[in-house]
Amino acid sequence: MEDVITDIPPPSRFFLEDLNNFTLPSPALPSPFLLFSTPNVKKPLCPSLLIVAMSSPSLYFCHHVSSKTLIGSLILPEIPFSGNSIGPSLRDKSCNIYALNDADNLILIVSVQYSISAERSHAVAKLLIGEQIIPERVLILDSVQSRNFRGRLSSDETYAFKLETSVERKGLDDGFGDSSLLRGLDYFPSGSVIDGLGAALLGRCQMKMIKGTLCVSWPEFGGSVMSMVKSLLLKDVLPGLEYSIDGEVEEEHSRFGPIKNHLLDSELYT
Amino acid sequence: MDDPTQAALIRALSPRYSLQETFSEKRKRICQAIFSKRYTFEKTLIVVIYIKKNSFFFFLSSFSECKMEFIVDEGKQIHEECSTLILPALSIGNVGQLAVDLLISSMKAERIGYLDDPNVLPCVGNDAYWPVPQGNLALPLEVFDSSANALTLVQQRSPLVKGMTVEFAKNVADFVAASGKKHVYILSGLDFGRWQTIDMSSGLQIYYLSSANTDGTDDNCERLGWKRLQEYNPTQRQWMYLSTLAEGVAKQDDNLPFEDELGEEDYYPSLPFAALFSCLKAKGLNVTCLLCYCSEGDNIPDAFHLAEAACKLLGLSPNNFQGGNWIVPFSWKTVYGPPPDTSLF
Repeated sequence: MEDVITDIPPPSRFFLEDLNNFTLPSPALPSPFLLFSTPNVKKPLCPSLLIVAMSSPSLYFCHHVSSKTLIGSLILPEIPFSGNSIGPSLRDKSCNIYALNDADNLILIVSVQYSISAERSHAVAKLLIGEQIIPERVLILDSVQSRNFRGRLSSDETYAFKLETSVERKGLDDGFGDSSLLRGLDYFPSGSVIDGLGAALLGRCQMKMIKGTLCVSWPEFGGSVMSMVKSLLLKDVLPGLEYSIDGEVEEEHSRFGPIKNHLLDSELYT
Repeated sequence: MDDPTQAALIRALSPRYSLQETFSEKRKRICQAIFSKRYTFEKTLIVVIYIKKNSFFFFLSSFSECKMEFIVDEGKQIHEECSTLILPALSIGNVGQLAVDLLISSMKAERIGYLDDPNVLPCVGNDAYWPVPQGNLALPLEVFDSSANALTLVQQRSPLVKGMTVEFAKNVADFVAASGKKHVYILSGLDFGRWQTIDMSSGLQIYYLSSANTDGTDDNCERLGWKRLQEYNPTQRQWMYLSTLAEGVAKQDDNLPFEDELGEEDYYPSLPFAALFSCLKAKGLNVTCLLCYCSEGDNIPDAFHLAEAACKLLGLSPNNFQGGNWIVPFSWKTVYGPPPDTSLF
């Protein structure tokens, strides 16, 4: 608004361009794609579980899982590789795909270490689920977005909520007890929403009738939420996984802060 | 029985072909049965199958390049008796969306499926309407049926990708055309700050715009005392430009021919309801927009007003709804955030 007195104020819930049919779209970007270490694989990968780590605690946890092998990467053409290290690092702007070393089951972990815009989320979700990767079950780990949360969030307390697809929830109705992946977690409260890639992934699972769970934790980083996420994963998702990290490193995580810093997600910083 | 003449094939191959233009009601039902689980409006080749014995032919047709996919929920089915469709347009105050929320909740409409469109930004949440059963996932674009009221409702929960409003409207029009709906009602708010002629004589006036007549008027709406949107002029440049976009004659990549000279009359055709109206009209569908002026703030009363107007026009009464009256959606409890922290005082 150039003149706050005479100009018509914009609507507060939408940007003006959201309500304008004649806003021009942003220039089209090249499509994202998957790159695997074993090229020309004709059959899709069919993991029993696909874990998509997006929150800082989950990225930290997955990074320190030793029994995993890098098998591929999701490439978003607009994300530069400059500044990335040769070996996978938590500081890299990358979206690597790992396979857990398990003879019986194929479990894939996708570590999303850069921000994916809401506009790109639909295409990325389509790439990760239902085409070259067809999982039996999906677990997405994200953080609560305070701007979309209609309840109270205290930075002194840790929370975790979940949302599940109908197929995942079906276990509750079958009379065989709670067979969902994350038992004991409360559902995300009605009236609040989750957007972005996590939402796109869960939505895709729902429409493809795949068992899917989206777990959102709060706060975004810190030792307490790190412990909570680690406990959830080791207890319910990956029991028996050999995982050990000393207390000093966990302390370092809680002091260091977010792995994805939206302000520093810029080509200027390498 | 028509022979599949070359002319019929050429017509069907036309990129602007639509089911409603070419099929009889019976053929439409057959095609819908083929796609009963999944409507995928991507370009396919035409396959003409002529079945002599039953004296009908049906073909998998070349649809327009719609990227919207309709996915039927597990165990659900489309109700053919739901011949009327209500959907919201994004607007100031989210009034259309709130009104549709209220209608779905009060009619206890059944979710039958989802619409997947790359132009809609993703979002998920817990069940918006009822506290039990817990954990029923809500997606950004959902389709509900209320068989008792012969009504289908589409709810949109999230905004669109920037610059894709017309594209989205075209996809919606393709879906509606293929689904055989007889009439579409679009609910939307209008910015009170743009209200040119203040008319306090009739309280909260409902305005409308209809495809029934070329000037936008509709006898049914006039009988209810509503006023046609005065600023509607189909020959006005922006309305005409919107029509060319809706018909696919122009592309939005073209420079807006009169960008430097935008005036007040250019405002209404720029709104999302106008895109939906124009695209649905371009498909030959019957469409009526119900509009009410509002400001940003507590728009729940505006939602009630618009929902009541929709019911009046459709000859429905909340007293006859399953719950016997209006039922406020469960998610509205926190629509304006949590109550203040009393420990502050």
